[in-house]
Amino acid sequence: MSLAIRIIPCLDVRGGRVVKGINFKDIVDAGDPAEAARRYDDEGADEICMLDIDASFEERSTTIETVKSIASQVFIPFTVGGGIKSLDDIDMLLKSGADKVSINTSAILNPDLIVEASKEYGSQCIVLAIDAKRTGESWNVYTHGGKNKTDLNAVEWAKQGQNFGAGEILMTSMDKDGTKSGFDNDLYCELSKKLSIPVIASGGAGELFHLVDAVKSGKADALLAASIFHYEEISIKKVKEALQNEGFEVRL
Amino acid sequence: MNLGVIDYGASNIFSVARALKSLGANVSIVDDPIKFKGIDKLVFPGQGSMGSCVRKLKEKEMMNPLLEGIKSKPFLGICLGLQILFESSEESEEQGLGLIDGCITRITDLQNENLKIPHMGWNNIKFQKDHELFEGIADKQFFYFVHSFIASQSGTSITTTNYGEEFVSSLALENIFATQFHPEKSGKLGLKFLNNFINWKV
Repeated sequence: MSLAIRIIPCLDVRGGRVVKGINFKDIVDAGDPAEAARRYDDEGADEICMLDIDASFEERSTTIETVKSIASQVFIPFTVGGGIKSLDDIDMLLKSGADKVSINTSAILNPDLIVEASKEYGSQCIVLAIDAKRTGESWNVYTHGGKNKTDLNAVEWAKQGQNFGAGEILMTSMDKDGTKSGFDNDLYCELSKKLSIPVIASGGAGELFHLVDAVKSGKADALLAASIFHYEEISIKKVKEALQNEGFEVRL
Repeated sequence: MNLGVIDYGASNIFSVARALKSLGANVSIVDDPIKFKGIDKLVFPGQGSMGSCVRKLKEKEMMNPLLEGIKSKPFLGICLGLQILFESSEESEEQGLGLIDGCITRITDLQNENLKIPHMGWNNIKFQKDHELFEGIADKQFFYFVHSFIASQSGTSITTTNYGEEFVSSLALENIFATQFHPEKSGKLGLKFLNNFINWKV
């Protein structure tokens, strides 16, 4: 008996509005976050993810308000990421209604944050988010919303994150993000071989078969996508039906 | 009608309270022995380990009023709120409330399926018996789980779920109902279940 494959619509939020970019650039406005979250819940999303794409100190209060307004209307697991630097930040987000937090840049600058946060709140609420870009046969980790390249190998870093106590890995392929050309299944396949925690695949969803392939070939436990759901190009229900046809367990 | 949500200092009371309020319930947070007064129904949402939960309840002197409440009012235990009803748990040396016979054990991967622990995500629940709290909910629907420990089959089971082995995903004993899944995070069906609890007449 396996768990249902999770479909996770992602809301990239800036200044209290949903926005969408291509390859991490060219940002456009795409609506009200709470309204979008409620619609996804209605359509059968298994979780909601909200990423504060350029979280800064000044915008923190906007983020908290957005988290509260989503949490008051959505009764499925809710992950929040972006600019989380300390246990206090995590505490604040969990108290505002997040069920899990997703940590990216700060985990690299301060790996102890993952260790301490998973001890304090449990691994189940700590998601390690990684932005990766292919270099030859491997993938490099990028920080600060994809702006800075590091020497870290993405698969190795994910494995380390698991050892530090992260409960899930949210891996975004920067090469694929926003391109609608399919997921980087080599990357996810590699991850699933090395990890014992769930892997959420993100970046590249454009066609229905891309999502099915990420589970079939990439062995992803969950699929995260933004624009295809946001612009109603593919419905969550369609994705689940396609997965079910291939023999995967889904919540319909 | 007043719904009391028990807060012993380490659980996700906010999401449970939010879900109940969204259904129009009058919710109070019970974090002190005095606050059990005037409560008509109790909800015990649990997160974390059984040991620290029992210790915190004792520190806050909430153990006796809680036991009295469970014996006299409609009660809903969620996750750890199910496990604490049993005699003991492999997770801790602290004893549970002992209202239901048996021990809580760690999930065993009986078929060697390389299962990921904790059991986290959406899984289906199979009816073993009818119960009014599942009115309007069909068999084998998906609910949201996050846990590493389970109650094995017992005479009180209402639903079971399979993950590595078959375990009790909900149980009932007179005025007591408890779920291993999180209804507050299980979307529309979870809300339907909570609404049934709000309207439950024991």
